[in-house]
Amino acid sequence: MCKKVTVVKYDSDIPCEQTLSFAHNNLLDCLLNNNIAKEYHCKEGFCGACRTELIEGHVEYLLDPLAYIDDGEILACCCKPLGDITIKA
Amino acid sequence: MKYTTFNQKNNDPLLEPMFFGNPVNVARYDQQKHSIFEKLIEKQISFFWRPEEVDVSKDRVDFQKLSDSEKHIFISNLKYQTLLDSIQGRSPNIAFLPIISIPELETWTETWSFFETIHSRSYTHILRNLFGDPSSIFSDIVENEEIKKRAADISKYYDDLIFYTQLWQTLGEGTHTIHGEKHIVTMRTLKIKLFLCMNSVNALEAIRFYVSFACTFAFAERELMEGNSKIIRLISRDENLHLTSTQHILNLWAKGKDDPEMADIALEFRDQARDIFLDAVAQEKEWAGYLFKNGSMIGLNKEILCQYVEFIANHRMSAIGLGQPFDIKNNPLPWMNNYLNSDNVQVAPQESEISSYLVGQIDSEVGSNDFDEFEL
Repeated sequence: MCKKVTVVKYDSDIPCEQTLSFAHNNLLDCLLNNNIAKEYHCKEGFCGACRTELIEGHVEYLLDPLAYIDDGEILACCCKPLGDITIKA
Repeated sequence: MKYTTFNQKNNDPLLEPMFFGNPVNVARYDQQKHSIFEKLIEKQISFFWRPEEVDVSKDRVDFQKLSDSEKHIFISNLKYQTLLDSIQGRSPNIAFLPIISIPELETWTETWSFFETIHSRSYTHILRNLFGDPSSIFSDIVENEEIKKRAADISKYYDDLIFYTQLWQTLGEGTHTIHGEKHIVTMRTLKIKLFLCMNSVNALEAIRFYVSFACTFAFAERELMEGNSKIIRLISRDENLHLTSTQHILNLWAKGKDDPEMADIALEFRDQARDIFLDAVAQEKEWAGYLFKNGSMIGLNKEILCQYVEFIANHRMSAIGLGQPFDIKNNPLPWMNNYLNSDNVQVAPQESEISSYLVGQIDSEVGSNDFDEFEL
C-alpha cells in the first residue's frame, strides 16, 4: 500500500485538502511532482527553505538535517513519510 | 574580564554558554555542547573551493555587449557583494571570538569568516578579468554614497559590540567615561548588544546577500556573465550555511536552550530584532531603486526585486519566530531556486560522486568473502 500525503491549504477561509500518494525519493519531490508550490534551495537539508509544518504522522530523515527546524516542523527535501502523514501546504 | 588565549581554569565546556562564559581553552571536538556547529564546520569544509577554478574569461566579452544601464547594475551589484564580504570576512572573528566560550562555536566562526575571505578573493578574480586594473571599482566602494550608507548600517551593530567588549575587557563592568562620553558597561548591556548584533548579521546573511544574488542570476538567466554566476552559486551555497548558523544561535537563545538571560533578552528585545530585519528590507528596496535608476534589465526590475525582498523576508523572519509581515505568497523569481540548489553547483570531478569527499573517501570495509575469487 502506498503511503498517503495529505496537504492542507489555508489560503482561503475554508481549508482545502489534497491527498497525494507517496512514491518518490523524498517529500519535496512528491510535492513538486504534484504541482504543489514548495520553496526549496539546497535540497540537502542545510538551508531550511523547505521547512514544512507536520500536522499528523511521522517522517524519517534520509540525511542529518542541519537547518534549524522548530518543533512540529520537517524538512521536505530530505525526509520520507513513515506511514500516512498530513502537512500544511 | 581580561581575555586570555589559553584559559588555565579547568572548566567543563559542556556547561558553558555560547557567549560570555569562560574563554575557551582546549580546542576539542570530541564532545560538544551544541553539536550543530561541529556539523556545520564539517559541511562547510566539504564545500571548499577556489575562485581560480572557475573560468570567467567569456564574461569579458559578454560585459562589453551590455548596455550602460546593465553595466551599472552589474558593477554596482558586485561592489555591494564586495562590501558585504569585506565586512563578513573579519567581523565575526573580531566581534564574536573574544566572547565565545565553547570550542565548536569558536571554530565555526573562524571557518565561516575564512569562507567569506574566499568570497572576497573571488570578487577580485572577477573584476581583474573584466577590467585589467580594477582599482577604480574598489576605491569607489569607499567613496560611493549609496554603498557607504549600506556599510554604515551593517557595521554599526558590530562596532558597538566590539567597543563595549573592549571596555569590558580592559575596565570591567561599571560606568566609564571615554573622551568625555559616558558608557555604562554591564553584563546585561553587553548581552543586549550581542543579541542585536546577531540579529543584524542574520538579516545580512538572510536578505542582503539574496538581493545581490538575484541580480547576478538574472544575468545568467539570459546566458550572460555565466562565469560570474558560477562563482556566485558557490558563494550562495556557503551563505546558506552561514545563515543556518545564525538562525540556530538565535533560536537556541530564544528557546532557552543556552544562556537563560539571553532567552529573557530575546523576548524583551523582540521588537528591536524585528525592526532590524524590517530596516534591512527597506534599505534593500532603496538599493534596488539605485540599481535600476538608469533603466531595468530584461527579466528584472525594481518592482520584482522589491517583491522578492519581501518574499524572502517572510521566509527568513518566520524561521526565527518573527512572523511573516508581508502579504506575498508566491516567489516572484521562481528561477532563483535553480541557482540556489546545490545539485546544480558544478563541482570538481573528485567531488562529483560524493559531496563530502573530504571525509570517508577510503572504503576500508573488508569482508571475509572479498577475496573469494582469488586463487593461489
